[in-house]
Amino acid sequence: MKFRIFPREFRDKCFTASCMFSVCLMVFILVVVLFPMMARGLKAVFFQGTNEFREMQLVVFGHGDAERIQRENGEIEEARAFVYEAANRFRRGIDTEHLADEVRGAYRDYGSYLRAAGISGERYSAQRARAKDLRDALLDAFESRDKEYVQSRLQCVLQSRADPDFGGTPIEAYFETAESYSRIAASVDLSRREQYAEAFGEVREALHKLFGPGPGEPAPALTMDQYGATRWDAVERELHRLLWSEDWVETEPGRPMVKETRARREFFAGTELEPVFDYVETNLEKLFQPRFTFYWRYFMDGSTDGHYFGGCGPEILGTLALTFFSMLFAIPLGIISAAFLVECTGDNIAVRVIRTCINTLAGVPSIVFGLFGMAFFVLFLFPVIGEFGHGTLGIFSAEAADKLTKPNILAASLTLGLLVLPVIIRASEEAIRAVPINYKEAALALGAGQFRSFMTVILPAAAPGIFTGIILSLSRAAGETAPILFTGAIAFGPVPDSILEPTRALSYGSYDIAVGDRLAMLVPHKQYGMVMTLVALVLTLNIIAIWIRSRSSRKLRGL
Amino acid sequence: MTEYQSQELSLDGADASFLRRPARAVENAARDTTAESGEAGSVIRSKDFTLFYGKTIGVKDITMDIYARTVTAIIGPSGCGKSTFLRSINRMNDLIPNIRTEGFLTVNGQNVYDKRVNLVNLRQQVGMVFQKPNPFAKSIYDNVAYGPRLQGVHSRSELDSIVEECLHSAFLWDEVKDDLRKSALALSGGQQQRLCIARALATQPRALLMDEPCSALDPIATARIEELIAQLRNRYTIVIVTHNMQQAARVSEHTAFFCLGELIEYDLTSRFFTNPSNKQTEDYITGRFG
Ligand SMILES: Nc1ncnc2c1ncn2[C@@H]1O[C@H](COP(=O)(O)OP(=O)(O)O)[C@@H](O)[C@H]1O
Ligand SMILES: [Mg+2]
Repeated sequence: MKFRIFPREFRDKCFTASCMFSVCLMVFILVVVLFPMMARGLKAVFFQGTNEFREMQLVVFGHGDAERIQRENGEIEEARAFVYEAANRFRRGIDTEHLADEVRGAYRDYGSYLRAAGISGERYSAQRARAKDLRDALLDAFESRDKEYVQSRLQCVLQSRADPDFGGTPIEAYFETAESYSRIAASVDLSRREQYAEAFGEVREALHKLFGPGPGEPAPALTMDQYGATRWDAVERELHRLLWSEDWVETEPGRPMVKETRARREFFAGTELEPVFDYVETNLEKLFQPRFTFYWRYFMDGSTDGHYFGGCGPEILGTLALTFFSMLFAIPLGIISAAFLVECTGDNIAVRVIRTCINTLAGVPSIVFGLFGMAFFVLFLFPVIGEFGHGTLGIFSAEAADKLTKPNILAASLTLGLLVLPVIIRASEEAIRAVPINYKEAALALGAGQFRSFMTVILPAAAPGIFTGIILSLSRAAGETAPILFTGAIAFGPVPDSILEPTRALSYGSYDIAVGDRLAMLVPHKQYGMVMTLVALVLTLNIIAIWIRSRSSRKLRGL
Repeated sequence: MTEYQSQELSLDGADASFLRRPARAVENAARDTTAESGEAGSVIRSKDFTLFYGKTIGVKDITMDIYARTVTAIIGPSGCGKSTFLRSINRMNDLIPNIRTEGFLTVNGQNVYDKRVNLVNLRQQVGMVFQKPNPFAKSIYDNVAYGPRLQGVHSRSELDSIVEECLHSAFLWDEVKDDLRKSALALSGGQQQRLCIARALATQPRALLMDEPCSALDPIATARIEELIAQLRNRYTIVIVTHNMQQAARVSEHTAFFCLGELIEYDLTSRFFTNPSNKQTEDYITGRFG
């Protein structure tokens, strides 16, 4: 007896264990996939925002306390002045091209100075010739790599300092330049000037990324270049680029190149730039004034080009519109089709073929629907309708007819609707079929016709099942990218004012950032933020639908 | 009005009221007059009525008259065609594909299988109560008001009075009068069945068909339904299918015995149970059957 019970118990235990295992697996996967994604997405809304962020918000979107930002900007400019001054000094030493230009300028100025002072004739030519000699000596010094020669040429220039002819004239600039260059030439390895210039370019780029355009620089054309690091994570990323240089170097011939990371502080040791690195690293707080930011406007703001700044407001609106219109199309059609399949037909070959087709359609990849939507709605049906409505009937304006020939919300919604239609039909058919025949009989016996009995008795009884289908398809319609890719989604553009305009969408937006090569790396928060918003949106819609479903099924159970 | 009256009385006349859609008010007036005239006769007549489910026979050559304002019980073993016959009367069998009928089945003198029959009117005149209580998932009020609303009654006060009257008739009023808005599904099985009866009464039928109305109920609920039937017998023509011979004996005036799709015996209940003329009937009622 005993050994007969054993296998049954064993089987039961195995069954329970496997059930628990699969449930745990599901939960685990959910946690592993959803949690990090949501966590990253939340960074779009909760983060340490720098004053660059606040300024950008003020200028681009018009939110924020202008006075306070002004005040903080004053403090920050003071703090940054040190960096810019040091960089300027360094540039003067390294960028001899620039120095030469200055010297030539001073020479020209001297000419006009002399004329203005009323000096002419011999004296004019003599003084200009002397200035020219000095200028050439300086230019020689700038050209040369030889320290001795440089110093001797500079001494040559500095000897003329006491010359009363030059006192108080533009030539004085020569002596300052010569002095500072002599100092620089003493401390710096002149032969590395090109390397310095190249590295300095990188430093300046990093500074630009951190602080935005420096004082006196013209405002860049792209909005994304007009501001420095707006978020603390960007600050840290760019700080790394400022402090460390990465080079691919060949260690041995024939071996793959190796990435070598070097501290720029060492590279620039002994130059004017050296203290900048320590200064920036230790004064980050002062330089950026980071503050914890709850950027709730993320869900309302539009975005600048390239998704670089701003939020996903238009995307949310677009996704809601697409979902709404696709459901508006798919739900009634789905329920009517299901009612037809259950109520109005027997079980003949045609119905079975239709049912098989519907089941197959439910499994067709969404890109197929996208291509179909483009080929059918955008390229064929809508232009024909537009032409007919405008040309033949005259009820559409030329503008509307033109919009009909391009991707628009209507086409995208219809495509999404087609995508989810099979799901709704299937679920509704099952639900309607599952309504006990009792209900229908009761209604018919009271004298209700087929339509009345369906509307008043069968449909309410099938509602929970139909809602299940709606919940499934709602998430799908809101989240699909492929069907709207060619039929009505755009990455940028104004909030549409009619359903004949294309729209942004959360799914398409995050896709666009992901394929926009460099962008996804620079603004991951933006992409994950959209994904998080999408998940939250779908969740909210589902919760509403589930609430309605539970209400209707509670009503059915008489509670 | 006189026209309708004459129609009511001419049992074999070619046109009965369910061929058209008479206004409810007119119909009521016609009903009342008939009630006063104390008409007695057969409301439902079946002559050589045969029904096929595809190729198999459901009921065969049924010839019987069911009399107005009496209770007629149909008994017989399972699968003998009791339900089939009952559902033929208001054409509930139409839900089943491939059925075919022969012979005549008339209600108020009108052949119900006539092509011109308006099913809605027919079913409003011949109500039905099913084996399993099947109230809609609506409030008690809406359940009872369902039929009248279909007939186009929308006035609040009129519906109120119909609901109250029907619930009174079904002995349910006192139990539910305080929460008419409650879901019908919250009622007990017996209450639900009485609600179904009230719902059927609300369409003001002439006849009420009951298919084993007590088989899903406990003895106390059964007793209440029987009591209800006893009350309704004076006003409605009732046909009740039952498995329970005691019940048939208690509630009915006439009893029909079906076996294998055929009508074996049909007689006054008093005679049927005490002095059956057929051997099969005797075997069945004494429990010696099959
Ligand atoms: N929908 C149907 N299709 C085919 N045959 C049926 C159907 N309903 C009932 N029948 C057959 O008709 C006969 C009578 O059934 P029914 O009237 O339900 O018997 P009962 O007397 O138990 O109510 C049975 O033999 C049954 O098999
Ligand atoms: Mg039966």
